[in-house]
Amino acid sequence: MTTTIKLSRRTLLQGAGATGLALGAGPITGFPNVIAAEPVTLRYLGTAVNQSGDIARKVKEDLGITIEYIPVVTDEVTKRVVTQPNSFDLLDTEFFSLKKLIPSGNIQGMDARRIKQADNITPVFTKGEVAGKKIGDQGTAPKKVFYLEGQNSKNFAGSATEWITLIPTTYNADTLGIRPDLIKRPISSWKELLNPEFKGKASILNIPSIGIMDAAMVIEATGDYTYPDKGNMTKAEIDRTIKVLIEAKRAGQFRAFWQDFNESVNLMASGETVIQSMWSPAVTKVRSQGVACTYQPLKEGYRAWATGFGLPKTLTGRKLDAAYDFINWFLSGWAGAYLNRQGYYSAVLETAKANMEPYEWAYWMEGKPAEKDIKGPDGSVLEKAGATRDGGSFETRMGSVACWNAVMDENTYMVRKWNEFIAA
Amino acid sequence: MTDIALPAIANTATESASTTSLTAKMRRRRVLAYLQAAPMALVFLVFFVVPLALTLIVSFWSYNEYEIIPAFTVQNYIDVFEGCLNTADACTTVRTYLSTLKFCALTWACTLVIGFTVAYFVAFHVRSKTMQMALFLVCTIPFWTSNVIRMISWIPLLGRNGLVNDTLMGLGLIRAPIEGLLYSDFSVVLAFVHLNTVFMIVPIFNSMARIDRSLIEAAYDSGATGWQTLWNVVVPLAKPGIAIGSIFVITLVMGDFVTVGVMGGQQIASVGKVIQVQMSALQLPAAAANAVVLLGAVMLMIVAMTRLIDLRKEL
Amino acid sequence: MSDRPRSPAFYALAAFFALFVAFLYGPTLTILVLSFQGPQGGLTFPMNGVSTHWFGKLWAGLGIVDIWGALWRSLRLGLVVMGLTVVIAFYAGLAFRKRFRGEGMLFTIAVASLIVPSIVVSLGIGLEFRLLDDAVNWAAAATGWGWLQEHGTLMGLYTSALGAHLTWTLPFGLLIMFAVFNRFDPAYEEAARDLGATGSQTLRHVVVPILGPSLVGVALFGFTLSFDELARTSQAIGGRNTLPLELQGLTTTVTTPEIYALGTLTTGMSLAVISLALGTSLYLQRRKARAGLRLG
Repeated sequence: MTTTIKLSRRTLLQGAGATGLALGAGPITGFPNVIAAEPVTLRYLGTAVNQSGDIARKVKEDLGITIEYIPVVTDEVTKRVVTQPNSFDLLDTEFFSLKKLIPSGNIQGMDARRIKQADNITPVFTKGEVAGKKIGDQGTAPKKVFYLEGQNSKNFAGSATEWITLIPTTYNADTLGIRPDLIKRPISSWKELLNPEFKGKASILNIPSIGIMDAAMVIEATGDYTYPDKGNMTKAEIDRTIKVLIEAKRAGQFRAFWQDFNESVNLMASGETVIQSMWSPAVTKVRSQGVACTYQPLKEGYRAWATGFGLPKTLTGRKLDAAYDFINWFLSGWAGAYLNRQGYYSAVLETAKANMEPYEWAYWMEGKPAEKDIKGPDGSVLEKAGATRDGGSFETRMGSVACWNAVMDENTYMVRKWNEFIAA
Repeated sequence: MTDIALPAIANTATESASTTSLTAKMRRRRVLAYLQAAPMALVFLVFFVVPLALTLIVSFWSYNEYEIIPAFTVQNYIDVFEGCLNTADACTTVRTYLSTLKFCALTWACTLVIGFTVAYFVAFHVRSKTMQMALFLVCTIPFWTSNVIRMISWIPLLGRNGLVNDTLMGLGLIRAPIEGLLYSDFSVVLAFVHLNTVFMIVPIFNSMARIDRSLIEAAYDSGATGWQTLWNVVVPLAKPGIAIGSIFVITLVMGDFVTVGVMGGQQIASVGKVIQVQMSALQLPAAAANAVVLLGAVMLMIVAMTRLIDLRKEL
Repeated sequence: MSDRPRSPAFYALAAFFALFVAFLYGPTLTILVLSFQGPQGGLTFPMNGVSTHWFGKLWAGLGIVDIWGALWRSLRLGLVVMGLTVVIAFYAGLAFRKRFRGEGMLFTIAVASLIVPSIVVSLGIGLEFRLLDDAVNWAAAATGWGWLQEHGTLMGLYTSALGAHLTWTLPFGLLIMFAVFNRFDPAYEEAARDLGATGSQTLRHVVVPILGPSLVGVALFGFTLSFDELARTSQAIGGRNTLPLELQGLTTTVTTPEIYALGTLTTGMSLAVISLALGTSLYLQRRKARAGLRLG
């Protein structure tokens, strides 16, 4: 790889600033590969959730790699991978969409030997365990789609191989977000989402494959039906679930639906909704605007999701090297700490821990009361000293996962039924 | 569509010129005409005719999670009309079209009334040409700014804790916020009217500006009241403008998916939205089938309308 | 009519007009005001201080979203669309004056292109390019030619998106050209020809100068229609978004008044373009008038 470094006089002069800095920093932080030479730009396709200007700036500083974000919604990510595999260099997508992506043949397996921290990736992904305990694996649990049989294989491997589909970036356990100041009573079950008490003040996620699982959680909570696998319903089960949703919608239960992280923030912060399915950092963001919002742990457990980096099959040469460098950098701690501070979980816990203050780690990961004010990545105070995180520690939260975001075998039928729900 | 008549463009003077020794010249002119029209024809062929033909073809193809399979099937159309024979409960497609048609009708009525009134005021009640021009510009300038921005600018006004509700509560007119202001049929129609009225104003104003003022004088002089003049002289003469404006408004609303999504809180159905959801789920053939049905519906409406006017004569 | 006294109807209509203008501009003004929110302010009222904080933030970049890149792409695409629209529509207008076989069909297609719902056009173009890509990939696999192997997609700003925009701007351009040529007195051309001018000379020295202001109008239309186009581009864009698409994404991804600052900025920009075009048009007319006087 070092042979690719071409230090022409022009680039030396040009890169005297940033690149020089990166060269200097490289050996220390241990990322020697593709820095310097002509600057590399990686087009980073993903949802806005994981994309952050801070990470892009930091990686530019450390590696000299320019990250160009292409922020689109979840479905659009899948669409672009399938239809325009050349339009990006690095993919950040949810594990559940792999069931669509891998058969398209546009994603290459990632060489585990080139990922320095590959062995330290949390067993949530590799084995479906947290602290040695098996967690719920309904739906597209990452362990089911983590390995490929070969680099260009279209089959998922049952056990560990050296070809990884996606290197995890962030993951979390989702539940309902509520406005405690407006609800004024404890909420403990998913069934509250469709409780007529919150008529016109509830919201659900308008991404069909995820929204329907939230609905399934609600239906199970009411005791009406227990799904063999919420992440892979039969047609009859889809019909049953959509029917419940349609009834609720016609009764005026929902204020609006949301499709993107920040949409949910706006709905909640402006008081348009008081209870809705939500993502953890969204709750954090609402709170940072001075609005009371709780990420309510529920007795039925969480619906978990995970995103990860993938490489398009067309990626080769310097860009491929740069992508590996970037991923290694991402797992090396700074980015992990950055994400942990927003309420996500990072793939390699040890390196993230090394980059966080002990009191931060205790608050975010161990579920202990904050010793000092907890600050977000931008320095704004998120929680005052003494607060504890909703849902407790990493082990309690990820340990209570009931199911994972999924693509069902009956996905086509489900999307059609979902459209019916929207039209109802 | 084929009903739109040929243009009545003023023929150039040369045609009335001497008809002798024309053959060579005529041939050159004809070749020149083809050359001059070719770029436009090519653009429409590549980016309009072929895509539409492909849409039609693909709507009969099969598909799976990640690819389109060129195997003939009518399943996509069966899916579109699934359950539509059941008269008790309208099927999704019928329901969606009804919802979209409702928005069409409401938007059309509002934009027509507002557009006509505004155009009438500017064309007939404003006396100086400069002032007319200025007021006309005032009406059209917002059209040049981003639709998305104009749409979301309603949200801080209409929300549950928005400016309108706050003001009304502050004045003591209402006790609890009006919920239906945002994420409702109301907000969707409001945004449509806000965005599309200009498409009514411009053609109607254009028609009115060409009405011979002496006709109005004549009407008054023969004792017609203001209303009679309006109804019997102005409206008939402004009909082409009204028709053109209507075509615009109706097609814009029929095919919309952004406004309904943003202003309806993602939970109001529209035909465009269904197509978009299917596209984002990569179900292209299903989306294509829906697109073909939509196209058919719009074409029906347009043909009905073009029976009333001859578009090319009116320009 | 002008010698009649103002009727009561006038005042009623004037009031209606004023209300309409308030309706038209109200939300835009809200945005304008809210874009000057203080640093602690949110997306809604009340104002939390007054500052240009959010413009500063916007200038520094919207964090994740490459808004300036998108703006720049939209501008460039808008300019290309503008140029092509003027040239193609102008020549097509000339062709229609001469009459040719198939003109009825071309006109029908142009009008159809205008009124076929944008999502359908967009879907069609998206499909077309998808199938083209499939074909190229198939060819690459079949032939094994090296230069084909790297192929990703033919979709892009200057292919599919440009085409999508042209299906929207060209019909407008053509309709304007019709209106213009309908009012154009052929006597000018005759005069030029009588004085011995060739066809291209007549075009350059007589037709274009006279039609100058209208061509500016077509250009203005072309640019702004393209600059704001969303629906047609949505399914036909390549890897990189245009500004309206980016904006649509932003409505769901930005929770600060930066988006209002952006709104204020783009509105200002549109206004600048319009004034520039109007100014040019007026200037051309004046010059024409002066030239006419001199000749007279």
